Amino acid sequence: MTTLRVPETRDFSSRLRSPAVTSRIGIALGISFGVCFVTGLFSHYAQLPDPVVPVPTAPAWGYRVTQGVHVLSGTAAVPLLLVKLWTVFPRLFLRPPRPSRELLVHLAERASIAALVASSVFLLATGLVNITAWYPWDFSFRTTHYAVAWIAIGSLAVHVAVKLPVVREALPRDVDDDGPPAGGGLTRRGLVRATWGAAGVALLATAGNSVGWLRSVSVLSVRSGDGPQGLPVTRTARAAGVAAAATSAAYALEVSHGGRTSAFTLEDLLSMPQRTETLPIACVEGWSESASWGGVRLRDVLDAAGVPRGTTVSVESLEERGAFRRSTLPASYADDDRTLVALVLGGEPLSIDHGFPARLIAPNRPGVKQTKWLGRISA
Amino acid sequence: MRATRGVVGAVGVVVGLYGAWLLLSRTDTDQLVSAVLWLGGGVVLHDAVLAPVVVVAGVVAARALPGTVRASLAVVAVVLGSLTLLSLPVLFGREPANPTLLDRDYTTGWLLVASIVVVVVACGTLVLERRRRGAGPGGR
Repeated sequence: MTTLRVPETRDFSSRLRSPAVTSRIGIALGISFGVCFVTGLFSHYAQLPDPVVPVPTAPAWGYRVTQGVHVLSGTAAVPLLLVKLWTVFPRLFLRPPRPSRELLVHLAERASIAALVASSVFLLATGLVNITAWYPWDFSFRTTHYAVAWIAIGSLAVHVAVKLPVVREALPRDVDDDGPPAGGGLTRRGLVRATWGAAGVALLATAGNSVGWLRSVSVLSVRSGDGPQGLPVTRTARAAGVAAAATSAAYALEVSHGGRTSAFTLEDLLSMPQRTETLPIACVEGWSESASWGGVRLRDVLDAAGVPRGTTVSVESLEERGAFRRSTLPASYADDDRTLVALVLGGEPLSIDHGFPARLIAPNRPGVKQTKWLGRISA
Repeated sequence: MRATRGVVGAVGVVVGLYGAWLLLSRTDTDQLVSAVLWLGGGVVLHDAVLAPVVVVAGVVAARALPGTVRASLAVVAVVLGSLTLLSLPVLFGREPANPTLLDRDYTTGWLLVASIVVVVVACGTLVLERRRRGAGPGGR
């Protein structure tokens, strides 16, 4: 009987582990991480309370696409990361060289791999938990996910620099360059294809969240796409604690500018020229949906209150708490014809969960900044 | 190539350290402890639990099963294993107060995908096996 001991790299005998397999899956994983990083940076910037240069208002579906791609790219990265880690797992048991310059290089590479694996698993795990609006941690998701993303992309660059010669040698060669496995079993090409298949299945099973026509296929997506007036809700009126204020008969939208405050009751708003715009609502959690919104152009309201064009305004909800109860609307958004004080969704008055009596809806703006239960606009 | 690698590596170090600085400077101690637990927890769960289980399963399968069955099982394990792992939050997560969130029957959904994957892989294996036999010594 053999005694238990810590395994060594040569104890792992599967011939499926080869630089040819690791390189191919690694490249796909690197691309998906790159896409996640760029779209994540954009989302982080778009959510800044007061960005130096505002995100452009066109195309209206911009944030919808970038954030959908962000979440989907992260989802597809899960099988890629798991198989990638499996192919290199034996290297965890590499014995360090004797004290020398090589040992330092060895330890530095180990440190970069530790940072890469820890940050990669962290980003995918917290991202997947966060999209279910579950926060089983004490840190701020946005701050920490953002900081760890920089660690991941930095250690990924180091890893690419270290492994470039291995990849260049392995890629041009056939994956199964030593023939089919002797005892049958999976070929390396089979493993690579199974990994692509796993990424494809993961995408199909979840993409309906952001790609409407896949909704019936995506049985594991976080949202079915249903909700009041056919539209999902991220923050309910109950969660925001606004039901009483929003349904009060004394409701009026206050617009203040230069010491002067105008109040618009719901009747006042309904008696102004009504417009209809088809605009998407796109949440940071990746779900998005296009809808037909009716209401008054924000610019018309601002004109009536004497707010000149080119003014950046601050939009406040009736909510008393919440990180996003107030948001800044840059002048380019406030003056855009498509930006509405929406009163109607799909031809019906807004439901309370969609922001009754009035909400902001603007093109290319993260969902959290599409302020619901509008209470006050100040210039 | 040496120069390119040097530049990419150096940029990587700077970018990674910037991330570490962001993490340390923008989170207070409680938050940092929680973040470090999640960072380390992921590595420990993978390296000490998931990976050994998969390796042992692979060794057992290699000894006990014929090649064709093993190959099909490996494909099912790659596809369904990763899909299950990424679906853990919807399968076993918290029940949200929001009726438009997690509003599907995820257990049924998972069973449906699992059955489709198993059937597709089984059919694929049969077709490949047939083709292999047809092209074998007796076939041509």
